[in-house]
Amino acid sequence: MMKKLNEIPGKNPFKVPENYFEEVNRKILSDTSDYTREVKKIGFYKRFRTQLAVAASVAGFILLSYSAVKILTAEKKNLKMPEIISVENTESYINDIDLITLEENAASLNFSEEGSGVNKNEIIDYLLLENIQISDIYEQL
Amino acid sequence: MGNNINDNDISELLRRDLNKGFSLVVEKYSSRLYWHIRRLVILHEDADDALQNTFINAWKSIGDFRSESSLFTWLYTIATNEALVLINKRKKNSFVSLDDLDSHFTNSREGSIWFDGDEAQVKLQNAILKLPEKQRIVFNLKYFDEMTYQDMSLVLKTSEGALKASYHHAVKKIERILGGD
Repeated sequence: MMKKLNEIPGKNPFKVPENYFEEVNRKILSDTSDYTREVKKIGFYKRFRTQLAVAASVAGFILLSYSAVKILTAEKKNLKMPEIISVENTESYINDIDLITLEENAASLNFSEEGSGVNKNEIIDYLLLENIQISDIYEQL
Repeated sequence: MGNNINDNDISELLRRDLNKGFSLVVEKYSSRLYWHIRRLVILHEDADDALQNTFINAWKSIGDFRSESSLFTWLYTIATNEALVLINKRKKNSFVSLDDLDSHFTNSREGSIWFDGDEAQVKLQNAILKLPEKQRIVFNLKYFDEMTYQDMSLVLKTSEGALKASYHHAVKKIERILGGD
């Protein structure tokens, strides 16, 4: 058979030590004021540690992005330069080789006007000044 | 003084003077919250710990409360959570099932020195301890604290309908246990 709850006397069966609530209230207020002092003691760095970490990450990201953009832009510029330089260098190099080879070849040849007193190199220089192609000079020599 | 002042005045004081406002909160609610916690955790030593933790946590998150509507339900929510933390800790550290008063008393330093119930009270407490955790909280809040379902729904974040059903089942179960003796 069910027993009704309201048949049980409503007395509180639990007890607390004497003056418990006065003491615990005092302790709670003392602990919370200690906590306030601790919070106040916490320096700028500790209090704003999270915000500082976020700010540092953002700054780092911006710096990295800026550096990456700078490097990539610079690389693009540099990519064109070697082409120009290499073309110029190559032409100059070929010209130098051609001239040296030409002079060497000329040195070994016997001109018909032997003893005319005209230096062979001077003839080549003259022909080059007259815009005659190196290949033509080769043919003549 | 703290018991007579209404929650709106305390909330206003909290905004103007946090320390003074909080001392009124402690004065007004420490006893009510203690008994709520005590009925859940049974032992005075645990209720004492949970009560202090409740106010420390309330103090730490007092900024959150300012946007809340009811100081009363906000504090009960914190207290209930602290009680559940203690209950789970006890369960973990206990080798026996804590579903009656004796198992609680034998698992504590203080024993039964802070319990003074007669036979009927012991039977009622033992019957309450046999309820599932959530039903036990609902039963205690309704039966002992006479909390409205509306407030209880804010404390436990559960619909009023579910709470009514839970209380109804709890009462039936307790009456069945008591009648079976």
